[in-house]
Amino acid sequence: MDIIAEISQNLQQGKAKAVKELVQQALDEGIAASEILNDGLLHGMGVIGEKFKNNEVYVPEVLVAARAMNMGSQVLKPHLASLGVTAAGKVCIGTVRGDLHDIGKNLVKMMLEGKGLEVIDLGTDVPPEKFVSTAIEENCQIICCSALLTTTMGVMGDVVKAAEAAGIRDKVKIMIGGAPVTQEFCDQIHADCYTSDAASAADAAAAFCRA
Amino acid sequence: MQTGDFMTDFENKVTVKINGKFQTASKGAKLSSLLFTDMPCGGHGRCGKCKVKAYGGLSELTDAEAAHLTQAELKSGVRLACMTCVEGDAVIEALPFTGVGGKILTSGDAADFPLEPAFKKYGAAVDIGTTTLAARLYNADGKALAETGMLNPQISFGADVISRIESALKGSDGALANSVSGALDGIIRSLANTAGIPAKEIESIVITGNTAMLYLLTNTSVEPLSHAPFRARRLFGEVVTAQSLKLRSVNPDTKIYLPDCISAFVGADTVCALISTGIYKSENTELLTDIGTNGEIALKYGEKLTVCSTAAGPAFEGVGISMGMRGELGAIDRVKIENGVLKAHVIGDTAPRGLCGSGLIDAVACLLDTGVLDETGYLNGDSAVIAPPVVLKNEDIRAVQLAKSAICAGINTLLKASSLSPESISSLYVAGGFGSCLNMENAGKIGLIPKPLVSKVKVAGNAALSGAAILLLNKSLRKEAAKTAKTATVLELSANPVFANEYMENMLF
Repeated sequence: MDIIAEISQNLQQGKAKAVKELVQQALDEGIAASEILNDGLLHGMGVIGEKFKNNEVYVPEVLVAARAMNMGSQVLKPHLASLGVTAAGKVCIGTVRGDLHDIGKNLVKMMLEGKGLEVIDLGTDVPPEKFVSTAIEENCQIICCSALLTTTMGVMGDVVKAAEAAGIRDKVKIMIGGAPVTQEFCDQIHADCYTSDAASAADAAAAFCRA
Repeated sequence: MQTGDFMTDFENKVTVKINGKFQTASKGAKLSSLLFTDMPCGGHGRCGKCKVKAYGGLSELTDAEAAHLTQAELKSGVRLACMTCVEGDAVIEALPFTGVGGKILTSGDAADFPLEPAFKKYGAAVDIGTTTLAARLYNADGKALAETGMLNPQISFGADVISRIESALKGSDGALANSVSGALDGIIRSLANTAGIPAKEIESIVITGNTAMLYLLTNTSVEPLSHAPFRARRLFGEVVTAQSLKLRSVNPDTKIYLPDCISAFVGADTVCALISTGIYKSENTELLTDIGTNGEIALKYGEKLTVCSTAAGPAFEGVGISMGMRGELGAIDRVKIENGVLKAHVIGDTAPRGLCGSGLIDAVACLLDTGVLDETGYLNGDSAVIAPPVVLKNEDIRAVQLAKSAICAGINTLLKASSLSPESISSLYVAGGFGSCLNMENAGKIGLIPKPLVSKVKVAGNAALSGAAILLLNKSLRKEAAKTAKTATVLELSANPVFANEYMENMLF
């Protein structure tokens, strides 16, 4: 097995340490950072994402794979920057005000990065205005909102309203997700997209950025 | 062979009469392998919970048994099932269920305290759990006269705390309060009935519970509990009247003590458990955990008390497991391997219908042992048969992984925040109904609790109720409870990077 395939394989198995070491080894062997990213890390994450959508693997596997991806990209980052590799799109993501759950949000973030998108992570307990001002300043195509509590998901509606008030509603897509969120709720608050899992969210975001 | 006599056909076979039924057994078989008993410590003679009555050809009394059995018990033939082997024909009988226990006063499990009751004749202690209500009635000598429990009727408004908070915010707050106070009246009357006393003679009641349960009982606005920063303005530690809680079974001016809560998610039930286990005044490094939908964990280290709350979800209550159920008739509550084959015990000895929490954990541990399940959580095949028709599916294993990891990661995060290793812990008290029927060896095997802590587990039962009883029977200790609550530091897990990492690490088996 060549080293790139090995990176993908180890990433799928969630072996973070091995991935980190293999990425470094590949760089040392003179393999282009973009190749390591696309054919190694992103490829492995793509396989996991696909399996996740088909219910062949579940959250734990995705989390460990995503962590391995993260470890690998950290090694890769400085090399990619020097090559001037640009992202396919820009997204800001956060868990809405009043909610501190970030594991689901982090999962989506890692999946988005797995699609080659640049992600600005606003963290948790993010006020609607913060989503909007970041989207304006950073020129994001997409705002992603997460909520895990039935008592906080209403804030997602405030994000849509804040984007309208700031006059950027036609420039950004607003995507929402989290355990209590449904398509009905998405329609009700006039958000653009709801997905039930992180892999589908990444697919939808990539499609928005291509459009 | 004929049943009814004690003749044996084979040299190494013996006849045993178990709960009135004859059967053959191998010489040297442990009593615990012949009849199912609760073995919270995993059969190591540490907890003394697997008492049975046995006589005939039995192995000699072990030191562990001598330590756990009273002279009276020894005289009447009580043994520990996990320590005793059959060596000849024998009779074994399960002990009658002793629901009423002045346990907190007689056993060494609970902290010793002098009597200083908050009442002259009768008082009651109540624990309002999210799922169940439990209560005991005491006289002024500290004797438990009656004990009872029931499901929390608020379940019809939602199974978990957040859905009930949401329901209250949408206008059902009054209905939620009435629902639980009605149930409390029923419980109080039932206690009085059992003891043969008039309910109106109950002069004092201590009601403990998690913060949200006390908010819903007192119809306090739950709005601050519904979103971050989750600032609970009312943390109790106060006396109210029965009238204010709309309790009608007792006199309107009956005093109800609501113990102090620590935060929005770590409530008076945890404070009471800290009191009854004695952790609040312990000089050792000790942990307490209540394994439930919301797992509260507390760490006492020197003068410092740190607490956290971790969301394990309802998997251990059988919710979200395809064939999961409560510990009712037909539930598999224990599983073990015999000659390489899974053997399930079913509550009520009927046909199995599903798995309850303790059975679920045993089943997963057994599947790991037999190699049907690998360390990443992959089942060899789509599903694994536990006892036909009960199976575990891949998605059930995922639910267990998420739930057990939340608890284990919570414990590890708490330890790391104080730079402690599991080895430095002297005791891990496991409170709650689920914790009491858990096989700890298996809990360690699947990673519900860190392995180095398995040998340090002390089963605390309903430690919240025991703590409420202590605050009922010794008014002065209420000051200690208040002090404990106020000095505790809350560790927030939901945005904690150490927890996020631990949570991922511990998903694997």
